[in-house]
Amino acid sequence: MHIVVCIKQVPDVPNIRIDRERMTVIREGVESIINPMDQVALEAALDLRGKTGGRVSVITMGPPQSEEALLEALAFGADEAVLITDPAFAGADTLATSHVLARAISRLRPKPQVVLCGMKTIDSDTGHVGPQIAEELDFPQVCGVNEIHIEEDALVVKRLADGFMDTIRVTLPALVSVASGAYPVRHIPLGALERAFSHEDVVRWGSQDLALDAGEVGLRGSATRVVRLWPPPPRKKGELLTGSPQDLAARFLEKLEALSLLDEEDETE
Amino acid sequence: MKQNKDTGKVWIFGDYRNYFQNRVTLQLVGKGRELAEGLDTHVTVLLLGDQVHQYAMEYVAHGAQEVMVAEHPDLKDYQVETYTALVARWVRAFKPEIFLAGATSFGREFFPRLAKRLQTGLSADCVALDIEQETGLLLQTSPAFGGELLADVVTPDRRPQMATVHPGVFKELPHNPEAVGRILYPEVDPIPVERTRTLRSRRQQSRNANLEEAAVVIAGGMGVGSSDRFKLLFELAELLEGEVGATRPAIRAGWVEEERLLGQTGKSIKPRLLITIGTSGALQYTAGIQGAETIIAINRDPDAPVFKMADLGLVADARVLLPLILEALRKRL
Repeated sequence: MHIVVCIKQVPDVPNIRIDRERMTVIREGVESIINPMDQVALEAALDLRGKTGGRVSVITMGPPQSEEALLEALAFGADEAVLITDPAFAGADTLATSHVLARAISRLRPKPQVVLCGMKTIDSDTGHVGPQIAEELDFPQVCGVNEIHIEEDALVVKRLADGFMDTIRVTLPALVSVASGAYPVRHIPLGALERAFSHEDVVRWGSQDLALDAGEVGLRGSATRVVRLWPPPPRKKGELLTGSPQDLAARFLEKLEALSLLDEEDETE
Repeated sequence: MKQNKDTGKVWIFGDYRNYFQNRVTLQLVGKGRELAEGLDTHVTVLLLGDQVHQYAMEYVAHGAQEVMVAEHPDLKDYQVETYTALVARWVRAFKPEIFLAGATSFGREFFPRLAKRLQTGLSADCVALDIEQETGLLLQTSPAFGGELLADVVTPDRRPQMATVHPGVFKELPHNPEAVGRILYPEVDPIPVERTRTLRSRRQQSRNANLEEAAVVIAGGMGVGSSDRFKLLFELAELLEGEVGATRPAIRAGWVEEERLLGQTGKSIKPRLLITIGTSGALQYTAGIQGAETIIAINRDPDAPVFKMADLGLVADARVLLPLILEALRKRL
């Protein structure tokens, strides 16, 4: 079975800077990591491969340095890595991004049976790209799954959604996004990392390789525009209390009372 | 089509799964009224399901001027593919300007697929919506980088302008049993074959409730002190009907299971009250708690960064304070 994992290299959030002219985030010079939730999806893929055999491909769209994320994924145990990179892809929203990724996935051979994604990325926080890839590939989708079991031509997955634990059977091929924490992320031995980084076998595709026109990718292919990025207003300054523990415990209860968290309890007694 | 002209141009997706705990659709009806007034139109709620008439009445009572209902036994379960197919056809026929859904689990799974089919823009988990004065466009404020930044997003040319909206941001209108609204039953197209089938769906007991949906969360870090003391957090959670979360170091110490991880690599929460105990306030953690309405922090170190976010900060050793709080709370309840 061919399993594809979509990953994204993201800046480590504490160090972000913003280009206020172009209204984009400057990624250069900031430490980059594999989006943590995509790591979980990669673990899910490796787990699945362990059960069924087959191969795991990792795929990312991003600037050339996103190759690092792919090499890291190879060190974790992925079999193949595809970097989709082209200056024309810059500024893409989720509509344009999912278009490029779906096109690339449709060109992988053998035809992928399972596409896995993280729930969302820590930089743009949308969680849109997974379902949008599924739509373009005409795959069914299930989001936020905690468990994946494989049957002959289907997956049976469990996920918590809106207060319900759903058990869902989805026919293959399918796209599944994996809940954070669903699969523990291993630490990779340094040796494996070094070996992966000495490889030169990342496949690179640009617009031409994927037969994409400039009008359907990047900013031009996007439906949305970011008109402003701004830091949220700081939280209202709170109270900081010191004193005897007894006194502080009393103040704690007063606060619960002020939030009317204690009243409801009284009514039920 | 003539009948389209007087159909509302501000659409709300009627998400009634978990209706009693999740009021986001009603909140969107309230906000939708405000947006619609500015655009000289009215609000239409889309409702799909089996035997859902009661919800249509509720939406009208909370301010919906119109409800479009698709009733069919096959619509009993929330199914992304079916909903996408039916709703996309309605959008193409009636051409709404704005289409909003709550950022529920279903909304966040369904709306991206629908937006893609309609080849239009979508912003995620919005915390503010406005009509931009000069352009008349919907200004969608969406959090990025775990809430460290907000992005104002517009969809200039394509329609509808779509957004999912964070629950609890907008206020619902009061229930008015006298309110009058139109309820339409447009033709329901054949239901496509679903490739996903729900085998079982069990409502979770509140005890196991999703951290992401809990109204009260008790979170602990290394300052809690030990695995045994961490159990006190569960006692506190039980008394306050809350859920327990933890920082990465507390999980690494083996005090609590991984699924309770909060922050950048874990869950993002938005409770009414977060009580954060023995957590210093590292960004990897605070990225997941930005959405909390009120934060009470307990930490020994008066300079701990977590106090900058707290509405109430208690400078104390959690190992001493927590037993006292539990004792006092038990007397009180």
